[in-house]
Amino acid sequence: MILDYHEILDRANEGPYISEESWDLEKVAMTTARLVRKYKLSWDPECIITDDPALADAVFEAGFELAKEIGCYSRTTERIILFDEDELEEGLRRMPQTLVMGEGKDARTLYARRIMDDRLPLVWAGNPGTPYPEDLFLPSVMSWAQEPIVDMITCGTLTHVDGREIRTGDPIEITATRRELRYLRDALKRVGRPGMGMLAAQSSVSELGDLAVAHPDYLRPCDSHLVPMLNEMKMDHRNISRAINSIEYGMRNAALVCVMVGGLGGDAPGSAVVNVASHILANLTTLADYQLLHPIHMRHIATTTRATMWVESIVQQAFARNAPAIFVTDIYPKSGAVTRELLYETAANAIVIAVTGGHLEGCGSADGLLPNGTGLEARFMGEVGHAATRQGLTLREANDLVLKLLAKYEHVFDTPGGNPGLRFDEAYDMRTLKPTAEWQAIYEEVKRDVRDMGLTAL
Amino acid sequence: MLNEQEYIEQLKEAVIDGDDQDVVEIAKEALEAGVDPQVLLTQGLMAGADIVGQKFESGEFFLPQLMLTGRALKAAMSVLEPALQASLGDKAGEGDTGTVVICTVQTDIHDIGKNIVSSMLTATGFTVHDLGVDVPTKTIIAKAQEVNADIIACSALLTTSMPVMRDLINLLESMGLRDRFKVMVGGAPITPAFAEQIGADGTARNAMQAVQLAKKLIAERRQA
Repeated sequence: MILDYHEILDRANEGPYISEESWDLEKVAMTTARLVRKYKLSWDPECIITDDPALADAVFEAGFELAKEIGCYSRTTERIILFDEDELEEGLRRMPQTLVMGEGKDARTLYARRIMDDRLPLVWAGNPGTPYPEDLFLPSVMSWAQEPIVDMITCGTLTHVDGREIRTGDPIEITATRRELRYLRDALKRVGRPGMGMLAAQSSVSELGDLAVAHPDYLRPCDSHLVPMLNEMKMDHRNISRAINSIEYGMRNAALVCVMVGGLGGDAPGSAVVNVASHILANLTTLADYQLLHPIHMRHIATTTRATMWVESIVQQAFARNAPAIFVTDIYPKSGAVTRELLYETAANAIVIAVTGGHLEGCGSADGLLPNGTGLEARFMGEVGHAATRQGLTLREANDLVLKLLAKYEHVFDTPGGNPGLRFDEAYDMRTLKPTAEWQAIYEEVKRDVRDMGLTAL
Repeated sequence: MLNEQEYIEQLKEAVIDGDDQDVVEIAKEALEAGVDPQVLLTQGLMAGADIVGQKFESGEFFLPQLMLTGRALKAAMSVLEPALQASLGDKAGEGDTGTVVICTVQTDIHDIGKNIVSSMLTATGFTVHDLGVDVPTKTIIAKAQEVNADIIACSALLTTSMPVMRDLINLLESMGLRDRFKVMVGGAPITPAFAEQIGADGTARNAMQAVQLAKKLIAERRQA
């Protein structure tokens, strides 16, 4: 049986009723806790990249069982969207194994990666969700689009257009999202890569913006947009609207799953189980073309904590072994531009993703909360991911390297105020769009250091 | 029959375990045995909740434990409240803390941060009215008036929903109600500068700080 969005909507309207509080606690939290005990799942903070196929399989089985047992919650109707085992399995079998993004000479093909895959991960540069003043938007996007190692681009969120504040659900979201797409298309032309694939429509939280840019002058069918699964294991009609519009238009849907590590799933193993279940369900409810993996640490936000990287590693391995799919995985470091820690965080996270079966997306520097990201760390993300792949790092070698890198940056999680670094226009020369001498020197120093740590192919 | 200290310890343990059935049973038995409800509240429930809060902050406990503790406290309070009212008169039910109306503002549906603060406030003795997510400004104010709230606490994760917090404060001023409620704002993108700029009474970086801020605002309000 092939599920379409009519069927998803019918189930959202007719499924069993449950209050949201009961869903969170009794369905998600308690079922996950039981499954963690049943499958005896645990993690070791000294082993971020596990070399334990049985553990990866157990995490997958537990996640599948969670998806089958409780389903997905519709926040719009307060009902449960249930799927049977056959539907979930067929959905997994149908997950695309390749996907062309972009067009012409700039097109790239995403593919389902294997663990320790010797094919290079693709590099998707940008920082979705990061708020940007309008004057910094175009130059910051150009700073990563111009990097030869970058394959696709994405972007932050405009906070104002023409000095006018953008509010969720306001008609101004239409203007903002069209403006964002104009800047993106302009950036690609200016760097001579007009056909590059994009993940965009970030300046509208409601579905208004997505609907407004589903046009070849803005987001082309060869581009993609986000359809998030809400925390945890929830959907609503507004997000299903995004998916439907995209399918009718012929554009790609990215299923965004942002499980809170330390949230309803509890510690890292439970969070990984919720993550697996969310991807299995999002595959059906968002009618996804590829999966976007972005666990968020409950207290530190960043993806570069031990627990969050462990979740990224085990979820990617679980799928690579049991249900290969295209995973694009986010790097959101705690630190911002012109700090050494940003590059060490980026390196650790890129290694984790590259060796366990994902493609690279980032960097959402400074937790993605400030416009303190640049093209330089996107370049470094790609360089490290490629080097880890070319060097053929084993999982154990990769883990050793990640532990060394953690020692270089982990203090930022206990630093009051974080480690936000500098704004884009303080980190780059705005005339030449090159890193400042200080930022360039830090990059070269850290690159040498990471090479000396053992990533010799860097 | 247990002695007073044993009842207190059992109640505290049940709160830490988040067992909403045990807390009710223990609270009932303790009251029947003549233990002072105020002692059960402060040395049993609140002491247990404090430990849960500390364990959550240190990373030893996670969100489910916090939510279970919040649920257990509500269940226990349903047993203790009548006894507290009898012993304290009409000041009971407000606890020593205060009443908070909390929600995620209209246009934003992110609730985990809000839920944590809500649970922590409940766990530390506040009477909390959680209105959920995407709540219209007028609904927030109406609820705050209805329950005679001390504090309105608003959350937003989306930068494009932050302006709604300013709308709330502006509307309170227009309605002549600004001095009646303290307003706390929170969420990942909220900075102290933003809170000050829109005229809020404060913001906090995490749930523990939010509880401290709420206590401080209540103290200011009662001094005034």
